[in-house]
Amino acid sequence: MRALNKITGQIIRSSLLYASEEMGIALRNASYSPNIKDRMDHSAAIFDPVGRLLAQAEHIPVHLGSLPWGLKKLITASRKCKLPFEEGSMIVANNPYLTGTHLNDVTVVAPIYYEGELLGFAANKAHHSDIGGKVPGSISIDATTLYEEGFILDPEYLMVKNQFVEELLTRFSSQSRMPNERVGDIKAQAAANITGIKRVKKIVSKYGVETFKDASTESFRYSESLTRNRISSLNSGTYSAEDWVERHDGQDIKLKTKLTISDQEIKIDYEGTDKEVDSPLNAVFGVTLSGVYFVVRTLIGDDIPANHGAFAPITVVAPKGTVVNPTFPHPVGGGNVETSQRNADLIYKAFSKAVPEKVPAASGGSMNNVMIGGVQNGKSWAFYETIAVGLGGRKGMDGIDGIHCNMTNTLNTPIEEIERKTPMLIARYEFRVDSSGAGKYRGGLGVIRSFRMTSESTIFTVLADRERHGPYGLFGGNEGEKTLVILKRGNETYKISSKGTFHLKKDDEISICTAGGGGYGLSSERDDQKVMADVDNGLITKAQAEKDYNLRL
Amino acid sequence: MGRFKIGIDVGGTFTDLILYDYSTKKSYVTKVLTTTNEPERAILAGLHDLCKEPKQVSLINHATTIATNALLTRTSIARTALITNHGFRDVLEIGRQRRPEIYNLYTKRPPPLVIRKNRFTVHGRIKSTGEEIEPLDMYEAKQVAQKIVNEKFDSVAIVFLNSYKNDDHEKRMKEIILNMKFLGTISCSNEVNREYKEYERMSTTVVNAVLSPLMSKYLNNLKRSLENSGFNTQIYAMNSDGGINTLSYASKFPISVIESGPAAGVLASRHMANVLSLKKVLTFDMGGTTAKAGAVIDGECDISYEFEVAGKTHSGRSIRGSGYSVRYPFIDLSEVSAGGGTIAWVDNGGALRVGPNSAGSEPGPAAYGKGGKNPTITDANIVLGRINPNHLLGGKMPIYFNLATESINVIAEPLGMNLQDTAEGIIKMVNLNMSKAIMTVSVERGRDPRDYTLIAFGGAGPIHCCDLAEELEINHIIVPTHAGIFSAHGLLVANITRTFSLPVLSTDSSIEPYFDEVRKIASKTMKNEGFHDYLFKEYVDARYSGQSFELRIPYQKSADIKERFSEKHKEIYGYSSNDEIEIVNARVKAVIATSNINRKTSKHTEKELGKPSGYRDVVIKGILGLVPIYSKEELELGRHGEGPAIIEEYDSTLVVNPGWKWEVLDYGVELKR
Repeated sequence: MRALNKITGQIIRSSLLYASEEMGIALRNASYSPNIKDRMDHSAAIFDPVGRLLAQAEHIPVHLGSLPWGLKKLITASRKCKLPFEEGSMIVANNPYLTGTHLNDVTVVAPIYYEGELLGFAANKAHHSDIGGKVPGSISIDATTLYEEGFILDPEYLMVKNQFVEELLTRFSSQSRMPNERVGDIKAQAAANITGIKRVKKIVSKYGVETFKDASTESFRYSESLTRNRISSLNSGTYSAEDWVERHDGQDIKLKTKLTISDQEIKIDYEGTDKEVDSPLNAVFGVTLSGVYFVVRTLIGDDIPANHGAFAPITVVAPKGTVVNPTFPHPVGGGNVETSQRNADLIYKAFSKAVPEKVPAASGGSMNNVMIGGVQNGKSWAFYETIAVGLGGRKGMDGIDGIHCNMTNTLNTPIEEIERKTPMLIARYEFRVDSSGAGKYRGGLGVIRSFRMTSESTIFTVLADRERHGPYGLFGGNEGEKTLVILKRGNETYKISSKGTFHLKKDDEISICTAGGGGYGLSSERDDQKVMADVDNGLITKAQAEKDYNLRL
Repeated sequence: MGRFKIGIDVGGTFTDLILYDYSTKKSYVTKVLTTTNEPERAILAGLHDLCKEPKQVSLINHATTIATNALLTRTSIARTALITNHGFRDVLEIGRQRRPEIYNLYTKRPPPLVIRKNRFTVHGRIKSTGEEIEPLDMYEAKQVAQKIVNEKFDSVAIVFLNSYKNDDHEKRMKEIILNMKFLGTISCSNEVNREYKEYERMSTTVVNAVLSPLMSKYLNNLKRSLENSGFNTQIYAMNSDGGINTLSYASKFPISVIESGPAAGVLASRHMANVLSLKKVLTFDMGGTTAKAGAVIDGECDISYEFEVAGKTHSGRSIRGSGYSVRYPFIDLSEVSAGGGTIAWVDNGGALRVGPNSAGSEPGPAAYGKGGKNPTITDANIVLGRINPNHLLGGKMPIYFNLATESINVIAEPLGMNLQDTAEGIIKMVNLNMSKAIMTVSVERGRDPRDYTLIAFGGAGPIHCCDLAEELEINHIIVPTHAGIFSAHGLLVANITRTFSLPVLSTDSSIEPYFDEVRKIASKTMKNEGFHDYLFKEYVDARYSGQSFELRIPYQKSADIKERFSEKHKEIYGYSSNDEIEIVNARVKAVIATSNINRKTSKHTEKELGKPSGYRDVVIKGILGLVPIYSKEELELGRHGEGPAIIEEYDSTLVVNPGWKWEVLDYGVELKR
């Protein structure tokens, strides 16, 4: 029978993955806000009774490590708060120091019981578009503590005996600028868990409790052995790297890592990284972990089932009190969106020495968040989006122009939707010519997106990075062009900070010029035909081609 | 009216032709190899074989994958120029700014259909209200037009921002180009896809533009060759939404035919559901390389309004950003890489994997003896005795049992498993994969499979239908007669349809004026094309204000849209709300019934136990035993029996699991439990 178990194990493993995917779809279908429905800023997963990840649907990278990390902490915290996971109950929390990302990400966990026995947990995490705090959208650029970033929810019951705790729903929603949306979204999260519970129970009833447990163990073993197998094909050794995140006050924050690849294991040590800061660029440990898991997964293959076993051979050490493992109540809003991007760049840089043929040069490295709002005809409005960058050059392939990189992959907002819904006109949306880092394989181009104000007064916040430290090239490739933010008022143009809040008047225009990807390999080795094709397509100017590639046209 | 109606399906490998005889109510089928460069040659060859009396043909319906293949291979697509607003040259390429595969560092965007060099911009701007805030720069417009004429582009796409609200600039741009005696085709976004969201409208218009010259040329040739052979009848092209349309419409709007191939199987199922009065049906079509699942509810197929052509799929869902975005109604199917030719292998972690690679028809499964070495689903079914181990196609095609065994043994060894367990493992894995596709069109859309009938067809569908039904707790299955060519019937039962739409984008529920306008446009167009006996079906796309996903609900002047929307929202998403409802589009679908075919029906004979034609060893659900084998051709109506059983037909094999009762009816075999 041993032989047949192997197939059964595999079928249970796949069924659990499908169950987590189905949870994600239930969440998206039932959710209310465009952020979840359209941008799919959420994740769903299934865990065993001690909180080890069994299966996670691949939604967004920043939840990859943070959800499992947060779940374990949440189980412990809930027990401490005397909130037992009873059948029919669900627990909710958003304290990033427990749940792993930032306050906007609300985690909901439900126990899975089968004939009275706790068999595991269904859990999901979704980005709520506004959870209070000093600015609409809750992500500010100058919060000095977590309290300014919104309301903090430590573990509490969302459901008891299959009924919503109404008092919690009211309290939760009333602190948001968009209370209706909050209730809709959190109920969708509960619906997702109910779907997960149903599916797992069905699997268990089909195969039996013991087989289900055996399959879980086998699943961990399989992922772990595949991961070790793949790690052993990397060049072992110790590699270091440094990169920077920029503060709005002009100071830089250093990230430093030491990567050790040895004996089928990977160790990442952040010793030497700067201390936590009183601005929102701190990345809680869950975010840091996600960056590591994301990078490793892109390097060793995403066909390895993402479960506890897949991450077991990876050790991450981040000294407490640093910007990559901060302490409560340091603000974290930008850590989730910007420091997380730099963390990925940092780890790639370290790996570039171990697996030069796989690692690309740095991509644009910023999510280029814009948060815009004001009052129009007596009604307040708010708008949030992120803007694409250029991908770094890759061995044998140029980087992609105008696309999201690293930890994010969310959609842009249609221009016709923006112009219909907000008092703004998009004046320009195209590639940023000459922003690509030169190289044998050039980096992708950043983009320029220009917002022109059509109402008397607008508050415009930008949270971007790579303004002072451009995306690195690799193996002789050049840096990509740095981020640039420009304000046009009347006939004057001003370079303004990539992290700031600006009070705009009618006809003011802000252009976000996002960073290009770094180049891969020496630009002198680039095929002339390719350079000429880029000039022909207007992606680089003749002057730039001459400068970067020494090409006389 | 003539005696015959003909359906032609031009696929990548085979061209299927089906003829229906109104006088005998019988249909006949033939299959010929597709002649890729001149598809009309194969069509004519097939027609000569099938129909000796061209004058007796009243209608020919035609489905083709030419458009899809052109985009997949990027051969024979037109050299196209795009004209758009100044400052927005790269909207087409940036798309929705996402990477198709997040964890793949070497992910690629599909190459843009119009390279940057051929994307031209002109000053001029319309606001979201339709108001002009900057006039079209006539000097620039003329310069761009001149350039396009001089450089001899085959096709032009014109897409300006907010043209869904005011198309003045697009019209003027088109006029300027026409005045310069441009010889190619012109696609204006407002004519191709008058809906908001600029990227999707632009991409749809560009896809239309690159296909236009190819499609008009092909359809003209087809019409001419058919006429030369005496087929002077009405010829229609099948649409992605399951309707059919004139060739001139398909030439002008080739985006309408892109997904027409897969639609046929669902239409055939819909027809069967109507004949049998089945309200809730799931369709399962398994062929050589893929399996497709769909749904037909109350006689309506699932229609979606946006898809990506030439993109990739992952476990039944399309990978967004991997293909070219097209907004055109299509029958929404879930497709997985699982067919008879799908290959099983062992990964470097020692686990058994099935797909996505396929041995296709060349070399095909190992058992076909055409040089294939890899173990496939068909090989596993042969090893288990589920498929006839000696021959297929009524003896026309030999099966090499030993080659099937050898191929499975190659992977049994590293797995440390015996032959039977390995073969069964393969079947279980592929079943799981396929059940996922059915889940996608049922459970994920808020439907409980237990309430549904499964119609299983395709060459391999009937082999796996009981396993899948059990997995999904379905209790009723229909396996149509000649399941392997069942899809072709879809071509005979399609209606002429045309959808017209107008963006509303308003929370005001009095939208009758919008419908007045769409009806006017629709009537005028239909009349101009010589159609008279049509009826209108009307729908609105609506959402809660602030949402970005729309739901389609039928529109009735008197009915409360809000109430109907809330009901539908609750049905699909599990809840409704008191929020404002925004109407996004008003849609009018004109329908002309042409599906007037009847299947031959006969009175049920006395029920009697079927007589097996023999017995063989078969493994079903882990148990090896002597199982009765029936020949479908020899079974008369009313014959019945219980599983385990195997019912063999010329082009397919039905595996009946224990616990199921089967009965032969005049449209196929019905299974119940």
